[in-house]
Amino acid sequence: MAEKFDNLEEHLEKFIENIRQLGIIVSDFQPSSQAGLNQKLNFMISGLQDIEKCRQQLHEINVPLEVFEYIDQGRNPQLYTKECLERALARNEQVKGKIDTMTKFKSLLISELSKVFPEEMAKYKAIHGEDAPS
Amino acid sequence: MTEMFSTLFGQNETQVPPGSSSLGFGPGKPPPPLPQNQVAMPGQMPPQLGDEGPALRKPGAMNEPFYLLRELPVGNELTGNTNLITHYNLEHAYNKFCGKKVKEKLSNFLPELPGMIDCPGTQDGSSLRSLIDKPPVCGNSFSPLTGALLTGFRLHTGPLPEQYRLMHIQPPKKKSKHKHKHHRPQDPLPQETPSDSDPKKKKKKRDDDPDRKKKKKDKKKKKVIKSIYQDPSNSQLTIMYYCGS
Repeated sequence: MAEKFDNLEEHLEKFIENIRQLGIIVSDFQPSSQAGLNQKLNFMISGLQDIEKCRQQLHEINVPLEVFEYIDQGRNPQLYTKECLERALARNEQVKGKIDTMTKFKSLLISELSKVFPEEMAKYKAIHGEDAPS
Repeated sequence: MTEMFSTLFGQNETQVPPGSSSLGFGPGKPPPPLPQNQVAMPGQMPPQLGDEGPALRKPGAMNEPFYLLRELPVGNELTGNTNLITHYNLEHAYNKFCGKKVKEKLSNFLPELPGMIDCPGTQDGSSLRSLIDKPPVCGNSFSPLTGALLTGFRLHTGPLPEQYRLMHIQPPKKKSKHKHKHHRPQDPLPQETPSDSDPKKKKKKRDDDPDRKKKKKDKKKKKVIKSIYQDPSNSQLTIMYYCGS
């Protein structure tokens, strides 16, 4: 998996570097630079071809759209990962709290019902067992 | 069919509309008690297409008097009761991203990328969102530019206008001057290697001189006394400070 990303990363880095050099040539253009510019333009096309080839290897990769929003706002996309993990942990803790509370409630309810309806609760326990999974 | 039905539920049961009994839960009343001989063997009836009555009634009959009793969820099911970050081996990622502060800007994530990348993409139309919403109209393949096509890329000589020189502007990088200063006193190397050319060393030597210290103290005393007379508003404080020292 990592090889695929490394391959894409390498091609992207080469492409960006080529674009940077192209920018330098264009920023103060001299007549003698025309040949170099033409070469860089064709490098750019071959770079795009290389990136296009990488696409086939990365079909199963899904990127959440929210990450693009972070990048578009000029924010670090790692912040999205961080917030996702924090949100997941917070929700995990909330659900665990609910489950724990419900488990306590269940045992309390069974004990109270056993006092009021001992026969029925004995039957209930016979069906579901004494320590039924919660 | 009616014969089989009657053998199962008795003659009285035939009057009950099949729809209400087959559902297994009615308007709130428990189902009428079944004959003793029928309770033990509800599974004997062969399953009929379009008649789901016995299959649904089965748990109700078995779980008497609890006619709405359902099977409890399986205990080993993955729920929020377990730490899902640990379960999916994401502790490393959690510690990496949540353990320390992640820098806010995009240029911190892609430091090698040229240009001002911290500006919102919507400003200059370079957002990824716009690429998805309005994909560029182009062919499926990239073909190299031939001589005739390259003539379109002949440029005028001279520098670019100011507004197009964004490529060279880099976001300012923070200098860690203070950090270096902090680390110096901890560094044992300069103390071990004495050199006459080091001005800091010279200063230290001067400070160590006891005569110089005395002179300095005397100077300070004079200064404090002066300030008492010159600035009457601060006199009390200065006297206190002087007495305290």
